[in-house]
Amino acid sequence: MSDYVRVCRVADVPEGGQAVFEVGDRFVAVFHVGGRFYALDDCCTHDGGPLGEGRLEGFTIICPRHGAKFDIRDGRVLSMPAVSDTQCFPVKVEGDEVLVRLDE
Amino acid sequence: MTAATASGFTQETFDAFLASRREPPWLTESRRRAWQTFLELPLPDRQHEEWRRTDIRSLRLESFAPPLPSPFPGEAPKGYPGVRAGVPEPVLGEGVELAGRAVALDGQPYSADLDPALAARGVLFGSLDELVLGHSARIQPYLLTRAVDPAYDKFAALHAACWSGGSLLLVPKGLAVERPLGVLSAMSPDAVDLSHSLIVLEDGAEATVLAETASTAPAAGGFHCGAVEILLGRGARLRYVNLQDWGTGVWHFAHHKALVGPDAALQWTIGALGSRLAKVNQHVALVGPGAHAQVNGVMFTDGRQHLSYHTLQHHETPHGTSDLLYKGALQGHSRIVWRGMIKVDRDAQKTDGYQRNDNLILSDSARADSIPGLEIEADDVKCSHGATVGRVDDEQVFYAQARGLTRREAVRVIVAGFFQQVFDRITLPRVRHALGEAIGRRIREFE
Repeated sequence: MSDYVRVCRVADVPEGGQAVFEVGDRFVAVFHVGGRFYALDDCCTHDGGPLGEGRLEGFTIICPRHGAKFDIRDGRVLSMPAVSDTQCFPVKVEGDEVLVRLDE
Repeated sequence: MTAATASGFTQETFDAFLASRREPPWLTESRRRAWQTFLELPLPDRQHEEWRRTDIRSLRLESFAPPLPSPFPGEAPKGYPGVRAGVPEPVLGEGVELAGRAVALDGQPYSADLDPALAARGVLFGSLDELVLGHSARIQPYLLTRAVDPAYDKFAALHAACWSGGSLLLVPKGLAVERPLGVLSAMSPDAVDLSHSLIVLEDGAEATVLAETASTAPAAGGFHCGAVEILLGRGARLRYVNLQDWGTGVWHFAHHKALVGPDAALQWTIGALGSRLAKVNQHVALVGPGAHAQVNGVMFTDGRQHLSYHTLQHHETPHGTSDLLYKGALQGHSRIVWRGMIKVDRDAQKTDGYQRNDNLILSDSARADSIPGLEIEADDVKCSHGATVGRVDDEQVFYAQARGLTRREAVRVIVAGFFQQVFDRITLPRVRHALGEAIGRRIREFE
């Protein structure tokens, strides 16, 4: 499954904001920073925490459970207690729709 | 079919369900009470410790409904005479001479039989739905009263309100049932199964039960919200094997609880292979001095499966022994959560409790969470636990390859060996073989 699928409208996530959307049987956290959209699996690799509910600082999302940090641009882990990257999904905007490509 | 007529668990569908059943007043009353609890309780969310690793945001309860009598769209298993072909064949009953069989399809009783010699000696076995009509007084004291708590959470309440397609085994005092009894619950795609298993062994009774749940298609969806209740009297002995092999789209919620009486012995083995998401509470309470429980679990997951098992070994009385061994192998993006607790009450001196959980990770994206715990209030006990998560050892693979096995064969042999430790604990050779076969099928599919 490599097609882009619609997650939300551009207006659903204002600049500097974040939201979680259900896509198929998965939950995707969408971030809107510096005019661009980013999408991560809504799941902290440390304890399964809901990343989309965390605090966003620049390009860093902080897990609300234990403070693990990830880069929203590539899913890279930035801080303990998580030690592995979370999934990052390619995003594109078409018209007023935000689309993501889930890897499988 | 259930899915076509489903309109959620609403007052209307519940009333229609009750109207279809014509049960004794005490049972209707208990269903109504549980229904109220179901309406009042919220769906558990991830703030709750038991649910923090288990995400049910995708669950659409409104796409299911209480089961009503309807023709089963599939066909049923060959191994169970009198049942149509097409439902997956019961694996555990294969090659085993059974003393009786009870089959439910899509939450409706389908067929039941029992060796007449056992029936003559007072054994009750078959469909709980049917037996509760004729043996109300014998069943009422045990059904959802002492073991599973209908108010534990929303799923327990839903089950207590809407259970159907259940099975019952009641063995009278002092009677040993030599041959195993088979129970099968099968479900067609997108159907509902709220089956209840009630097993009561009176003082000194003995039995073996092979229970199995399966979907008619490997990737089928559906909704299971079940319960198992086991009550063992003084010196009773039960071997209970429970194989969960639903389709990989099935939501599986279950509360399992056993009360093990004085000097009684329970050997409880679960196999968990199927379902999209499983959240199971397995609770063994040692409620009489000298009670013994051995709990074995094998799990094999793939794709995006999520299995979450919460076990509790509760020592309420002295001189009890409990021994739990859970083993899981994970492929794909699957996840297994095991959270185990040994709880020892203040009066439960001389307790000997053990729990162990091992996980074998077979892919880069699989994940196992293993969370053992002890809660001990007595001061003269022996309790310990262990947990491991690891990958297939490359040295072992190399060793096997050096002796002519391909890499794939080597991994299969290692996975089989990993589970062997659980199989070795199952004393009945036929059961050990049948469960080994069920797991073996999965291992053969492994690449």
